[in-house]
Amino acid sequence: MLRYILRRLLLLPLVALGVTFLLFFLTQRLSPEMRASLYIKDPRQMGALEEVIQKYGLRDNVFKQYGRWLNGALHGDLGYSHSANMPVSQAIKEYLPATIQLAVVTIILVVFFGVWFGVVSAVKKDKWQDVCARLISVGGFSLPIFVLGLLLLMVFYGKLGWFPPGGYSVSTDVMVHSPSFHSYTGFLLIDSLLNGNLRVFFDVLRHLVLPAVTLCIGSFALMVRVMRSSMLEELGKDYVRTARAKGLPERAVIYRHAGKNAIIPVITLAGIQFIRLLGGTVIVETIFDYPGIGRFGVTAAQQLDIAGIMGFSLMVAVLFVLGNLVSDVLYTAVDPRIKLSD
Amino acid sequence: MDAREDTVLSVEELRVSFGSGPDRTEVVRGLSYRLQKGKVLAVVGESGCGKTVHALSLLKLLPPGAEITEGRILYRGKDVLSLSAEALRKLRGAEMSMIFQDPMTSLNPIRTIGSQLVETILAHSTCSKLQAQARAVRLLKKVGIENARQRLNEYPFQFSGGQRQRIMIAMALCLNPSILIADEPTTALDVTIQAQILKLIKELQRQSGMAAVFITHNLAIVADIADEVLVLYGGYCVEQAAVEELFAAPKHPYTRGLLGSLVSLKRKETHLPAIEGYPPAPGTLQAGCPFAPRCPHVWDKCRASLPPLFERQGHKVRCWLVEKDEEPR
Repeated sequence: MLRYILRRLLLLPLVALGVTFLLFFLTQRLSPEMRASLYIKDPRQMGALEEVIQKYGLRDNVFKQYGRWLNGALHGDLGYSHSANMPVSQAIKEYLPATIQLAVVTIILVVFFGVWFGVVSAVKKDKWQDVCARLISVGGFSLPIFVLGLLLLMVFYGKLGWFPPGGYSVSTDVMVHSPSFHSYTGFLLIDSLLNGNLRVFFDVLRHLVLPAVTLCIGSFALMVRVMRSSMLEELGKDYVRTARAKGLPERAVIYRHAGKNAIIPVITLAGIQFIRLLGGTVIVETIFDYPGIGRFGVTAAQQLDIAGIMGFSLMVAVLFVLGNLVSDVLYTAVDPRIKLSD
Repeated sequence: MDAREDTVLSVEELRVSFGSGPDRTEVVRGLSYRLQKGKVLAVVGESGCGKTVHALSLLKLLPPGAEITEGRILYRGKDVLSLSAEALRKLRGAEMSMIFQDPMTSLNPIRTIGSQLVETILAHSTCSKLQAQARAVRLLKKVGIENARQRLNEYPFQFSGGQRQRIMIAMALCLNPSILIADEPTTALDVTIQAQILKLIKELQRQSGMAAVFITHNLAIVADIADEVLVLYGGYCVEQAAVEELFAAPKHPYTRGLLGSLVSLKRKETHLPAIEGYPPAPGTLQAGCPFAPRCPHVWDKCRASLPPLFERQGHKVRCWLVEKDEEPR
């Protein structure tokens, strides 16, 4: 098991190298002048173009330039993001926790409700509960995420004022940045609890609700479907009949026996969904003005912030490999027949 | 002797169908029998004759789509079919338990066999988890699993087919039920393992004095284990008699055919006799005797109407030949 994990981790640098080199190579299609001009804010300083090119060695061959970037990256220096006005590593440190927080809350909602609805739907096949669950699932599939997001924002913020957009309110901002608030993890939900500051906790949670619900819908619909069909398959198996023949209560038959087997495919799905949430919550983050990493990535791409793009891609690649590894390891926890072989 | 006192299970005119409306197919057609305390009834027949469906209906475990349309199942006088869900749950596993055909799929693959045994015990008694575990270990030893205590924490895939069936038996017997329903418990096993498992069931059945309904298509097993035999064909009971009687003097042509196709060391044939044709597919039965298309003694009456179950000194036969034989008298 440990050896399997180590071997998978050895793959990590390879994936990271591949992804970053590919992107770096693409950016080299732009002429050195174009790339240099991105760092000049004032048109009057255009004369300094050649100076910038010389300073950063933008005319060197691809490998040499990539080597320089790599060397920096290995020393924790991912370059300066002009779109975020801060070093790339600092931008990731600042925006990633908010996105992880959002993704974790979302995936918990998705798995919990997805599994629950899926089980009910399968157990009550063709009854009204099943019909409702399937309708919600089809609705979730067909509803564009930005339409739902804007609608929720209009109703629950515009009309009712319950759930405001943004990451947190101004008072929380002040509190968080005051010297008495200790930042332990960078995750505000956890830090606020560690600081014993419930006001911050609930404020952050309140800002999480709408984006999380919006993100949920699509994945939830998929989860219900997978759980339902998986559960239907398990309920027809012999061991379920055995469980009934033993005189177990129906709840135990459904949850302890069929449910535990049916959840195995859901774990893979949840893993994939979680990684997708980490890299691709751009629309939702934009709609709700949520200070997450997705928005950083998009802005960087729009403004041709090469350092930002490279840093963002590297981060996504690393998260992808790690996320897959975690879901594989989780598998063994649920299904004893799977041994991660060395 | 008062037969009623000793009857643990009585099945009356049981009818089971699949589907509804015009697609409705009856697979068990008016089956009746009584099972006495401590006795073994073997239900014999080819695939598709309704054996398993009948067994599942005893515990109301029929798959979706199948339905008991008529008849009663009485366990010690209680009507199983009208029990509440909770009463039925308490009956299952504790009073009447079941072993299935395929031990490879009958255990939950991702839970330890210990937890599957313990939960059965806990579902019916108020003992502690530790007591239940101790009981599970004793049971596993009893059915011949070595190192029972350590193996409690293992998963079904770590056991062989024969061992899994032993575990299923332990699970079925853990609450000392008065009736064991065994649905072809040895069919999926190797021949050598078959004999071991059969011996085990026989021993445990004799020790605890429980009654058993033993479903099989293997007549050799029947001779070994049963007190009484019921032969099913096309959903009908075609013959029912005490085991010695049935083997000595089979009356129904189908039973004779079955017995004739047994391999015997005494006979010296080069060809094994077989019954021509195939059993009827459910839903294709015509009027008349279900065996008529394959019967060597068929005559007009057989095709015209279904023979009733004639009873002569406890030997029941559903065949017009019986009536014909007695006509001169």
